[in-house]
Amino acid sequence: MNNMNAEERWNEVYLKPVKKVGMITLLVAAGLTLTPLLYLYVAHGVVPPFDAAMRSWGLVAAAFGAFYIVEPVSYYAILGLAGTYMSFLSGNISNLRLPCAAMAQEVVGVTEGSQEGEIIATMGISASVIVNIIAVTLAAFVGMAVIGILPEVIVDGFRDYTAPAIFGAVYGQFSLRYLHLAPIGIGIALLFIGVFQAPAWLSILFCVFGTMGIARLMFNKDILGGE
Amino acid sequence: MADYLQVANEFGLWLIALVVVSICVIQAILYYRQCMKAGKEIGLTEDQLKEGFWVGAKTAIGPAAAIFIIMVGLMTVIGGPMAWMRLAVIGAAPTELTAARLGAEGYGVAFGGEGYGIEAMAVSWWTMIINGIGWLVLVGLIGDKLEPVREKLAGGQASWLPVLSGSAMIGVFGYLIGGDVLTLEGPMYAVIFGAISMIILIKIAEKTSETFKPYCLGIAMIVGMIFAILLG
Repeated sequence: MNNMNAEERWNEVYLKPVKKVGMITLLVAAGLTLTPLLYLYVAHGVVPPFDAAMRSWGLVAAAFGAFYIVEPVSYYAILGLAGTYMSFLSGNISNLRLPCAAMAQEVVGVTEGSQEGEIIATMGISASVIVNIIAVTLAAFVGMAVIGILPEVIVDGFRDYTAPAIFGAVYGQFSLRYLHLAPIGIGIALLFIGVFQAPAWLSILFCVFGTMGIARLMFNKDILGGE
Repeated sequence: MADYLQVANEFGLWLIALVVVSICVIQAILYYRQCMKAGKEIGLTEDQLKEGFWVGAKTAIGPAAAIFIIMVGLMTVIGGPMAWMRLAVIGAAPTELTAARLGAEGYGVAFGGEGYGIEAMAVSWWTMIINGIGWLVLVGLIGDKLEPVREKLAGGQASWLPVLSGSAMIGVFGYLIGGDVLTLEGPMYAVIFGAISMIILIKIAEKTSETFKPYCLGIAMIVGMIFAILLG
């Protein structure tokens, strides 16, 4: 009987208010992130053309759609309810929120998965949000000034090569973990883009689901190599 | 500076970015207060709660500093306000760059290349935004129902989930680097040396200190860039 009261209490004092804040802040943020497009229209009369917009939505959904579900589901157990809402609003989950949550729990001495653990993890994560926002804000202003005084060849280099360098780096990072899949991802890509000259959406679908399918086969046979 | 980048850096956008960034801060403050209250209810002391907060803050400094370099890179590509906004919300440069590039492809031009003007940029922005909304709406609506979904997805094999996401990542980024490698020019070198240096850096981090890991992406990005400029 005491247990029921404790559970109801936890629901009243934590789960319900957390869900309310989480739902409101995330959905409001979703709406607010659209305002740059409104600005482009109001200030410059520019609107993304409908067919291009639908095409690119399809491309990006093919690329990341699975992650909309898989990521929250994977991290939820570690982040807890409030931690999940915060981490998916502010991002940087695996490199920032998870370590902060874990360290906070470790130092205070609570077990993960417990109620105490969840509260302390949330405290750690909320701190990381503040610190990261300060860093990103500083970078935005100081960084702009820095870009202003860099020689043009360097700024051009940043502009042209930041994306491919980052893409290559991330590919390298995941290749380390899944050695056997490394040739597959790029292999399918080179085949579809280079040889078949397939349209982008087809190439993406084959790259993502092809790699996932082969991974499943390897997983079932226990031959996923790497770290 | 290109036309579209000048637009991307306009003051009105800085204001919008400020509003969006504020939501993150407000949410963090609200949860801080809710947890202080709930924590005391279940028996934690004020000292413990504050300690949790400060440990989180200190642990965040390293990874947050590492983001600085990436911000500079991102800002030259999509402008200051959007980089600020997107890295405060969603927070993943590779994801944003991917979405921006797919936006250009949907429009029919090369990202940042010929024919990439304000209209193409609008499509890039749309793509980044609608992609981010995917996570925001999903978690916003079913955040509290994730546990049963996880059990279904894992299908009894919890170790499959990380493999699922890891393989999907390799698929997406394989597609992206595929296009870059096929240029046989600057981007190809950026990819190759970005990948090689990342692998080396991660290996070093694992052998020496875990706290070095957050810096790997930023450094690998610079190395990739340098080789691309030299060889491209």
